[in-house]
Amino acid sequence: MTRPLPSTVVSDLAEIVGHEHVITDPERLLVYESDGLTAYRRPPRAVVLPSSTEEISAVVELLHSNGIEVIPRGAGTGLSGGALTTPEGVIVGTARMNRILKIDVENRLAIAQPGVINARLTEATNPYGLYYAPDPSSQSTCTLGGNVAENSGGPHCLKYGVTARYVTGLTVVLAGGRIVQLGGVGRDPYSTLDLVGLFVGSEGCFGIATEIEIRLLPITEGVRTLLGIFESVESAGRAVTKIMASGLMPAAVEIVDGPTIEAVEASVFAAGYPLEAGAALVIEFDGTEAGLDLDADRAEKCCLEEGAIEVQRATDPEHRVKLWRARKKAFGAMGRIAPDLLVQDATVPRTKLPEVLAGIDDIGNRYGLKIANVFHAGDGNLHPNILFDRQNQNELELVELASKEIMQLCVDAGGTITGEHGVGVDKREYMTLVHGPAELEAMAAAKRVFDPASLFNPGKVLPDVEGEGTTKSEKILAMGE
Amino acid sequence: MKGTPAYEALGQALDAQRERLLPCVHCGFCLPACPTYNRLGNEADSPRGRLHLIQAVVEGRLEPSSEAFRTHIDRCLGCRACEPVCPSGVEYGTLLELARETATQAVPPGLPTRFLLKVLGTPVLRIPFFFIGRLLRGTGFAALGATVLPSYGPFRAVRLGLAMLASTRRWQLMDSKESMAGIADSGSLDISQKSRVAVLLGCVQEGLFRRINSATARVLEANGYEVVTVGGQDCCGALHAHGGDLESARTLARSNIRVFEASGADLIAVNAAGCGATMKDYGILLEEDPDFAQRAKEVASSVRDVTEILDSSGLRTGASVPCKIAYDHPCHLLHAQGVERAPITVLKAVPDAEVHVVAGAEECCGGAGIYGITHPKLGGLIGGDKVSAVRACSADAVATPNPGCMMQIGAGLRLEASNEGVIHPVELLDESYRRAGFYRAGGVE
Repeated sequence: MTRPLPSTVVSDLAEIVGHEHVITDPERLLVYESDGLTAYRRPPRAVVLPSSTEEISAVVELLHSNGIEVIPRGAGTGLSGGALTTPEGVIVGTARMNRILKIDVENRLAIAQPGVINARLTEATNPYGLYYAPDPSSQSTCTLGGNVAENSGGPHCLKYGVTARYVTGLTVVLAGGRIVQLGGVGRDPYSTLDLVGLFVGSEGCFGIATEIEIRLLPITEGVRTLLGIFESVESAGRAVTKIMASGLMPAAVEIVDGPTIEAVEASVFAAGYPLEAGAALVIEFDGTEAGLDLDADRAEKCCLEEGAIEVQRATDPEHRVKLWRARKKAFGAMGRIAPDLLVQDATVPRTKLPEVLAGIDDIGNRYGLKIANVFHAGDGNLHPNILFDRQNQNELELVELASKEIMQLCVDAGGTITGEHGVGVDKREYMTLVHGPAELEAMAAAKRVFDPASLFNPGKVLPDVEGEGTTKSEKILAMGE
Repeated sequence: MKGTPAYEALGQALDAQRERLLPCVHCGFCLPACPTYNRLGNEADSPRGRLHLIQAVVEGRLEPSSEAFRTHIDRCLGCRACEPVCPSGVEYGTLLELARETATQAVPPGLPTRFLLKVLGTPVLRIPFFFIGRLLRGTGFAALGATVLPSYGPFRAVRLGLAMLASTRRWQLMDSKESMAGIADSGSLDISQKSRVAVLLGCVQEGLFRRINSATARVLEANGYEVVTVGGQDCCGALHAHGGDLESARTLARSNIRVFEASGADLIAVNAAGCGATMKDYGILLEEDPDFAQRAKEVASSVRDVTEILDSSGLRTGASVPCKIAYDHPCHLLHAQGVERAPITVLKAVPDAEVHVVAGAEECCGGAGIYGITHPKLGGLIGGDKVSAVRACSADAVATPNPGCMMQIGAGLRLEASNEGVIHPVELLDESYRRAGFYRAGGVE
């Protein structure tokens, strides 16, 4: 059972943020026991919801001076358990820090609080002809603070790159509550030690970003969206390899497989993906109008050569939005075909896509588990969704084993254990598959520089060292208890 | 926990709903759609959080009588804005009603809620209740009270209640002395093609907005529909269902099903979004009732919002009514019924009516029954944002096809001494038809 916070700490927290923004009763804390990865459950000792950099600083100072671990949380949509608390942790949520502080049109910059929703930044800057490029599929709900912590990607990161390319400055609360500025306007983040680059993707283990300076892009002149229909996910994978090898530079190349099509076409986000297809490929080109049709023609040819049944093109902006919405809401729609799912995240060289996909299919068959694939094919970033029912304890073990085999398969193919969801708590045990002891020690050393007492999001990213307890004990199989 | 009577009650009710609850994969796409989460930032006040609490009760990890469960289930507006954004199609509205039933069985709701539900569901109480309401409105007492009463302490709720009542009067522009009795001219419409339509009269609608029921019948007839009178109707049960009093809601539903079945109407026109949403869900409400399950489904399938019917086959154009109208979506029309375009089409069918959709029209106005009285602070915050958005339109009137929203927005405008009128879209169409001479003069409305 979770140990309650000392009452003096609770009253001091209430003093800082207001008592209605400190949650301590065990019943309400249940709501914070999971993020987007519900295989893990553990309620925190408390949740604090500050509204400013100063409040976060004061909260962190108070908690750290009492030796209490701080677990940052945005919208709780992460898929690697990054916002899962430790047994002794207190969650500091950024939900109330949801203001865009500045839009600097001339310099194409924005400064936002961490609780701003990713898509809201694009909505707010669209009237100025600008947008924010990284577009995780959860962009309608995930927050910029979480994006910074996870260095999030998204379909269009194939051409535009991930979050790190767009964060130019940060205000950060460090261990003990110290506030520091990293990078920022007028300071080239790359002219000195790139601390912004170090912080982005640190999964909440270094501190909490409280103000984020972001580079915006001008909206492109033209866009072409294609939907390729294939009999199998392997032939769609071969088409991806062909497109990328042909020298084309698509903005996005996404694969949606048969089971995923079934889920999403049953949802309110149905976009007319043919139900009998083994896989669909969403390909997009953007840029200046001239040349876009030529690129689209070439991509279409690649698809047909690899056996596409047909290749459709988005007829108007609404059709394009529909095609994308179906792709981006696919994860949420899985609930239509199974009660539970574990979405995996791994990256393999593009050329290995067909064989890895066949291998995943084989793993699913051997364990008797349905696996739905929906992923960023262009950069080889796989997302196998393993479907199961938590009521069946036995099935959960199979999911665990299948996950591990999938990871091993990807690593053996020359890939790595995550593409964009982060390591969090879920992938810690796989870190040794790709990193040696020296690299892991370098990461641990970096963590010690920022957070010497290990009070920021401990138990994430880095695997346990021997004697510290096993990873397995971290996994809370609260299901079916 | 497990084994207690309260758990067993919810256990049975919600276990039966496993199929509805399981699709939630905790993706969190519903969070930004939720008015309470957006303002409070507490995930227990988000749809995902509430579903998690419901799930915890089903799993026996949380007591349904617990303060946390009751508070957060109660604090939901029931706007269902989370449903259209849910990729897995979780039927949140249905689950909320079941959760409310369990929560209110554990601890009954406050006196104002119990009083209102009792009165609305009982004709002999309802008639004098609304008579007094009309008296307070007609004598100007309601308007006076809303102006002079202070906005603190126990006066606050009374002041808001009176402002809501005062806001139900007819908009000045349409304050026509001329009464209308029937259709003089049905134009060149091919009447033989149109359906027989019954109009749900409703409780609040018939008590305070009878003019909207009359306008509904007239504009339907003017467009060639045969309007059949259906006696013996009762309150639709929407407010009871939303409040968790599902047994009363079912009783009311059964009685309405009987009379509408007997009416022989092809369609049931509803001019209150909340009632329409509930009647369209009669099939779910009575799915466990062997005698009524099928009948409920059939009646539900004939329910339409009046604007849906009008929009379905080219509207007649009446005379010019120059005015600027701000349109706001009722949640139970947009989110619960998926009707977005029809009411706007109806307004735009009126020549010289300039229609603006209120910024943030898809977000709840905070009406949600008597939310402003039961949750003064949060309700005030949500209502205040809506009133500001409406005022920013600088319109002559705000149109919204649901009595609760009309009263909530109307009261908010009145308390800010803002002069916009409040109308149902069919009222404007009706006025346009009257000016065009589609109706016979004489008779009593």
